[in-house]
Parts: sequence; C-alpha cells; structure tokens
Amino acid sequence: MSEKELGKKWDRCLADGVIKIGTGLGLGIVFSVLFFKRRTWPITLGSGAGLGMAYANCQNDLRAHYLQHISQKEQ
Amino acid sequence: MAARILPLLKLATKVTIAGGAVYVACDSGLLGSSEQGAQALEKAKAAVPPALAEWMKYFGLEAQLPTMPKVEFSPVKSWNSGVRWTISNLSEAPTKAAEYSNQGLQYVKDLIK
Repeated sequence: MSEKELGKKWDRCLADGVIKIGTGLGLGIVFSVLFFKRRTWPITLGSGAGLGMAYANCQNDLRAHYLQHISQKEQ
Repeated sequence: MAARILPLLKLATKVTIAGGAVYVACDSGLLGSSEQGAQALEKAKAAVPPALAEWMKYFGLEAQLPTMPKVEFSPVKSWNSGVRWTISNLSEAPTKAAEYSNQGLQYVKDLIK
C-alpha cells in the first residue's frame, strides 16, 4: 500500500469516526429523551456503539489491501 | 375511553419519532461504510455556511456575524515541516556544538593572554 493510499484511508477513518460517534450520540439523545427519562446511559451506549462501528470499518478498510478476493482466487 | 387512548397515542408518537430518526440515519449512509461516512461529512461541511447564513437572516442578525477568514493552514504540512526541522537540527547538532565550544575556548584563551 502506498503512503498516499494509506493517508487517504486514515482520513476516511477519522471522518467516518466523527460521523458515527455523532450519529450514535444523536440517536442516544433521542432515545434517552423519549423513552428513558433523560438518563445518561442511552447516550453513552449510542456513542460507544458509534465508536465501535467506526473502529470496525477502519479495521476492514486497512486490512482490505492484504486480503485476496474470492474472484482473484478462482482465476 | 380517551384516558385509555392517550397513553397509547403518546407511545405511538414517540415510537414514530424514534423510528424516523433511526431510518433517516440509516438511509443517509451515516451508519454505512467508511466512504459513505466521509461523503456525509463533506456534505455536512459544505451545507453549514449557507444554513448558518439563512438562520442569521431569519433572526435578523445579518450584519452581526463576521465572515470566517479563509485560513490557509494545513496541520499536515506544519507537522511535516516540524519533523524535518527537528531532524535536520539534530543531525547538525554535533557539528554546531563542536564549533561553539571551539569558539568559547578561543574566547577564553584570548581573555587569558
């Protein structure tokens, strides 16, 4: 993987992380206000889930370069 | 009759709002792959200044907020130039130290003479 490509992947990871944590936070706030009497734990759960999704995406993205796709294997 | 329907209606409204929020989040690619997330962030960054301008106009605060000056600052370039500066100074340090110590010694010798 070239350095430029790696840099782009990291940029994508960070942007995706920001989006997912923000979305998780937002959904956590919505659920907390509507169903859980404004408690903190849905907000924490939402942010944590967003962070976890971003981490998994980043991990897949960085590993994808070293994995062989099944279509290439069959050739 | 109304007393029984009202809590049900409240619950239905809450579920609709929550469900709608989750649907919008999933549909707009906020919970999708990295590329979709990065694209969503770019769209949000592009949409903020016009939205802010419209809100200012709506509240009649048009002339109050000064426009953000476009700062040509790149953290990546600054970091890289900082690393280069540090390493080049570290590599020159022994030579410069020898030079300065020689100069110091010469100065002291001249004083003693």
